[in-house]
Amino acid sequence: MTENIGSADALADAVAQWTENWKKMADFSVGVGEAWSNSMLPFIMTRAAEKRAGLGDELGDAIERMAQGPKLADVWDIDRKLMNAFVAWTKMRQKLAAYNTNAARPWMRALERYHEMPAEGEKPSPSRNWRDDFSAWSSLANQELIHNQRSEEFLRVQRELLQAGIEFRKSQTELSQTVSGLFGLPTQQDFDELTRQLTELRREVRALARRSPAASAETEEVPNATASARGRTNE
Amino acid sequence: MSDEAPAARMARELADGAAKLSKAAELLVKIKDEDVNVGATPKNLIMRRDRVELFRYEPLVSRKVDVPVLVAYGLIGRYTMADLQPDRSLIRSLLKEGLDLWLIDWGRPGRTERWLTIDDYVDDYIHAAVERICRETGHDNVTLLGICEGGVFTTCYAALHPDKVKNLVLTITPIDFHADSEDTAEHHGFLNIWTRSLDGADVDNLVEAFGVLPGEFMSSVFSMMTPMRSLTKYNIDLIDIVDDEAKWMNFLRMEKWLADRPHHPGEAAKQWLKDLYQDNRLVKGTFSLSGRQVDLGAITSPTLNVYALDDHIIPPTCSKALGGKIGTGDYTEIPLPGGHVGLFVSSKSQGRLSKSIAEWLAARD
Repeated sequence: MTENIGSADALADAVAQWTENWKKMADFSVGVGEAWSNSMLPFIMTRAAEKRAGLGDELGDAIERMAQGPKLADVWDIDRKLMNAFVAWTKMRQKLAAYNTNAARPWMRALERYHEMPAEGEKPSPSRNWRDDFSAWSSLANQELIHNQRSEEFLRVQRELLQAGIEFRKSQTELSQTVSGLFGLPTQQDFDELTRQLTELRREVRALARRSPAASAETEEVPNATASARGRTNE
Repeated sequence: MSDEAPAARMARELADGAAKLSKAAELLVKIKDEDVNVGATPKNLIMRRDRVELFRYEPLVSRKVDVPVLVAYGLIGRYTMADLQPDRSLIRSLLKEGLDLWLIDWGRPGRTERWLTIDDYVDDYIHAAVERICRETGHDNVTLLGICEGGVFTTCYAALHPDKVKNLVLTITPIDFHADSEDTAEHHGFLNIWTRSLDGADVDNLVEAFGVLPGEFMSSVFSMMTPMRSLTKYNIDLIDIVDDEAKWMNFLRMEKWLADRPHHPGEAAKQWLKDLYQDNRLVKGTFSLSGRQVDLGAITSPTLNVYALDDHIIPPTCSKALGGKIGTGDYTEIPLPGGHVGLFVSSKSQGRLSKSIAEWLAARD
């Protein structure tokens, strides 16, 4: 019995110590938030994001010049397209860094607001547990995230990231089409052109069929007799 | 309980957690992918046109409403949300109200469907489906039931082919794509704000790069709208459901529906995002399909407009705008509590939506 009481006390002490440590960490992270906001670090990170990541200005300039220089028929065509893709990738990484910088802010603000509640000196309810604390923090984080999404800066950085991502994707497609062409394989462009013609042809046929009701019924596809979809599930 | 010592509470919570994990493991081993079935209410394939299929549901009770009802979902996500599971299914509920229910299923469009436009969906696929239903049933017209983007399609169809539409039922359907500015709830309307932040050229480039509006892309945009829920649903939120088979199955079915996000055909996506979301042409009366202006004032069929009061995807103000534009004198609005998806799948909303629709239709049969 004495041992049990001793064990329970030790566990209670451990819990109290853990709670104190958690509070200290929370205090520290708010302090980090303030130090971050007041320091040069956000400025430096933003400037780094604007610069070509890890390449250095001179090398980056050289690559861009090669990628965007005058085209000389097929000379260095694949190389140019490779460089285009590389430049597009680095630009996308820059925009991603800027996006992440913006996306981090609501988390810092949520932590600051969480630290302000409850009012100082107020004793938490005895029945309060980790779920209540998490729920309170989660609600604040949700508000800050939603609020940030509607800010002009967020909309700008996510739009720029989207644009950069699309440009990267297009440069990849251009490169893959060139490689496909080398091997005599159909390209995505070929496929798109084929489907465009097919779609337009289908429209013309159906417009004609609508002028002739008998023909319209014949062009309607009927299911195979065995292909009924009884109780079809998600395929 | 409030006097429980922290140590005792911790010990109890640890023991509860262990029991939950054990039960969860048992359930997970038992559940197979085929058990997680969505859209399972029996139906029969009547017509196939390209990738689009027309189904007729098998009746569950004797017919009480004679005019056939064609359900049209949108191109973002799939219709299975309206038939998630037997006790959370608008489809089943409507069948139990004695409706003759049909479904137009757009399938899973891919790059092959890049060049399809909303004109094709409205004036070809829906029109062909309506004509087929009329031939099969002997009716001259049908009731259209549109959901979200499907509601926009059926609204356009009702404006362009008023003679073929007996009644128009819309659910969670946007009409005025800029009316989010009148909605004061900050968590509503991100989709409207986000699309307006883009240039038309951004949309064109997106479609040019991918051929479609990728389903995964729209999934991530939707996840952004409920940020904390998206982050906690696979961890903290699971704690409450892991040992409850019914809740697990509901969660897994929702996940199955969420994961099933087909691509949106490219040219139709350009119309959706540019003509409607950015330029708001539908409510302005400048939206045209197949060379004809879509005039909301030309809708003469009785119209029921149901919207969700806490809809963060289609703010209620965007749906309500129809009232001031529609031509019919028989226009009814039913605001219901709940969210965009919750209106269909939450346990609290079951029966309310289907009864409202069935009663309204029965009065006009």
